[in-house]
Amino acid sequence: MTIKLIGYPISTPTLRVVICLKELGIPYEFEPPASFQALKDKDYIANKHAFGKIPVLLDGDYVINESRAICRYLVSKYQGKYNDTILIPSDVHKAGLVEQFISYESCYYDSPVSKIIGQEVFAKKFRGKDPDPEIIKQGREDLSKVLDVYEKLLEGKEYLIGEFSLADIFHCPCTNLAYGIAAHSDLWDNRPNVKNWWNNLRNRDCIKKSFEEVKN
Amino acid sequence: MTIKLIGYAASGPTTKVIITLKELGIPYELDPPATYQSLKDDDYIKNKHPFGKMPVLFDGDFRITESRAICRYLASKYQGKYNDTILLPNDVHQASLVDQYISYESFYYDPPLSKIVYQEKVAKKFFDKDPDLEVIKENREELAKVLDVFEKLLEGKEYLNGECSLADLFICPNTYHVYCIDAHSDLWDSRPNVKNWWNRLCNRDSVKTTFEEIKSFWENN
Repeated sequence: MTIKLIGYPISTPTLRVVICLKELGIPYEFEPPASFQALKDKDYIANKHAFGKIPVLLDGDYVINESRAICRYLVSKYQGKYNDTILIPSDVHKAGLVEQFISYESCYYDSPVSKIIGQEVFAKKFRGKDPDPEIIKQGREDLSKVLDVYEKLLEGKEYLIGEFSLADIFHCPCTNLAYGIAAHSDLWDNRPNVKNWWNNLRNRDCIKKSFEEVKN
Repeated sequence: MTIKLIGYAASGPTTKVIITLKELGIPYELDPPATYQSLKDDDYIKNKHPFGKMPVLFDGDFRITESRAICRYLASKYQGKYNDTILLPNDVHQASLVDQYISYESFYYDPPLSKIVYQEKVAKKFFDKDPDLEVIKENREELAKVLDVFEKLLEGKEYLNGECSLADLFICPNTYHVYCIDAHSDLWDSRPNVKNWWNRLCNRDSVKTTFEEIKSFWENN
């Protein structure tokens, strides 16, 4: 039975899972919810996501939600099955470092990037409000500090732990949206190691294809 | 070589690791930083944590940061080595459900709880600011909604995934800080499943002894 992914490509958590599925070569069907409101239906909350969120993945009878948990599941179960791509190394120390960078992404990187895209991409589209320049300015300042750290961490490396991993994938969706705004691409382009890392990522076939789905 | 953990017993993230080390029976040494300010020293940032945070764990030459990553590493490497405690199930489906609950803890439960901890415990002690009552009220309301979901999730279960796992242990430190404040214990005590779950966690040796360390830290600092 084919894996089913419930979500929208524009949702950054959903896109994490899409990239992961594509990178591991796992066949899947995409199923957008009927509407955002449908996520709050009693049935959705009881059977899909207790907090009424996306994405949700169905693998036969097995239901799992939360994008990072879904991706770890896909790696544990399917890594090596459809192709040779390794997203979490089997070596316990390297795997530990992947988890460390996954934590850096969720604890330090995601918040300032989300401030920027929350205003530039989502404010008008979903809340009918103009972007708030103060929030964007704060997001840029906070992100600059984080990217200064990343610039050092990426010294001599193509990817965060050296080889490509799940930690790099997790950075992609929100970076794609923020980098795509001309006024903000400098944040990555002004830092040679960060620029190199981002270019490596956005030129990977699976990631390129996933970004196309967001555009559409 | 004994595992070395850099951090303070009072720090929520450090405490997650201490509880995990104890649950798995792993010997370790706690090495508190000289001061909070020393976390921003060039040397600390270069050799310990690039974002100037704690905890940091050294296992021989191997260095790893970020509490949840550290705990996953400890479970992957040492689970079953010192005792029989399983914190990350071997079955891929069960393990992923634990991951899902860890995600609930990180992204829904901890944010409002952390904000209450900050106002009630950190603001005055470290920054000489009075607690912001509006912020506390908003985050109590937010946390109440999350605990309503947990109340349903825990129906017929002793722990989030049935058996005790990393997901349950991760909620302990910050919950301890807020539960101990009389004005807030109702959040857990007024929900029967949540109350039982919290009491069960508090009675685990690793959790009980770690809470003693937290209490002692606050009394002496």
